[in-house]
Amino acid sequence: MTGRRPPEGSPATAEMESLYPFLYAGESDLDRVMEEVRRSTVAKAREIVDLRRVVCERDAGKLWACAREMAGRFATGGRLLTFGNGGSSTDAQEMATLFLNPGAGARPLPAFGLASDTAVLTALSNDVGVEVIFSRQVAAFGRRQDIAVALSTSGSSENLLRALAEASHRGLLTIGIAGYDGGKMAELADLDYLFVAPSGSVHRIQEAQTTIYHTLWELTLMALAEGG
Amino acid sequence: MSRPATANPARPGPGASTVTEIISRREAPIRDLADHAGEVAAACHAMAVRFHRGGKLLVFGTGTESTDALHVAVEFVHPVIVGMRALPAVSLTTDVATLTGLAEREGMPGIFAHQIRVLGEPSDIAIGICADDLSESVLAGLTAAHDMSMLTIALAGGDDPVTHPAVDHVITAGSRDPRVVKEVHVTTYHLLWELVHVFFSQPGVLSPGAVA
Repeated sequence: MTGRRPPEGSPATAEMESLYPFLYAGESDLDRVMEEVRRSTVAKAREIVDLRRVVCERDAGKLWACAREMAGRFATGGRLLTFGNGGSSTDAQEMATLFLNPGAGARPLPAFGLASDTAVLTALSNDVGVEVIFSRQVAAFGRRQDIAVALSTSGSSENLLRALAEASHRGLLTIGIAGYDGGKMAELADLDYLFVAPSGSVHRIQEAQTTIYHTLWELTLMALAEGG
Repeated sequence: MSRPATANPARPGPGASTVTEIISRREAPIRDLADHAGEVAAACHAMAVRFHRGGKLLVFGTGTESTDALHVAVEFVHPVIVGMRALPAVSLTTDVATLTGLAEREGMPGIFAHQIRVLGEPSDIAIGICADDLSESVLAGLTAAHDMSMLTIALAGGDDPVTHPAVDHVITAGSRDPRVVKEVHVTTYHLLWELVHVFFSQPGVLSPGAVA
């Protein structure tokens, strides 16, 4: 059907389409695109199942070890600090509220999402720069017993690397959740744990990362219950 | 700098087999989403038609789903794939002044419906997100949107498919674990974004003559 359309950007295109929509659409075209879209959905579902299996095979033992350390921090008064940019900021906020307000009788644990306070974020961005929006918050209220979790699909966001460095310097447990090959997070010598969703798709990476922090939460509660 | 010790470093834990069980729990609900690919495609086509006519997306949910609403909005406004067109989308979960004001004065059920009635237009799209059955505030928001002739879409969760007369398209994640439902929802809204753009690349299928 592409062949039947005037060139993109042609000034006549929009007008022609609005006047003669039947020239540009046919039922068979729609059926074909619907089928293409349906097949794409099935393929994406298969991709994410496979990616989660890879994460599990690589990191099952590390997830449990990390969760036990997190439980140890919470048991001695530590708090969770989470941060990320863009879509990952929403994951950071979800992770924080999952610990803080899990519902269904699960034990609530202290957690702060560092991407939620617009006053702090815009003040730091405007006065200093976006590269310090998380590190300054870690410096202001991070404590030695706390846990810092940085979420990034690239693994290379400057403001996350700075916040992780600040957290390491202060003795926090530092956890990176990244995609691709881990990016610059994979080069950090001081990072305690790095979990990588090895995919080239930002969307599949985010979906696997959600599973990674949900699993850390579930295991942390298990470890805390086990430790009394 | 020295670090605090782990609570019980020597105690053996459930370990890798538990992690395997947790992760494999995710597989059936994602396969179930693939089995309902036709419904996802129909919702995307309806969304693309609305965007094509100048509509905007209003998205909402409570609790952890409020962060999904943020994610959906940023996905459409600032696509992760460079060069893709920005589409108008707003999360109704960011304005804490309005949300707490409404909750205090009128109670939780009206927090989204009020915003829909004042900010929404008939050509718009409303997406409500709930980890289980539709909550009172999300359903009220979708009902207000439906009453204004907006396109209404719900992402829900649970063992049984959710239906409601005010909702044009419901995609139900087949799990009772809210964490697993959330993960299916993330995949679902990534698909909604991607497939809306597939329809946009074929503008002929968005004209009034094309009916799914």
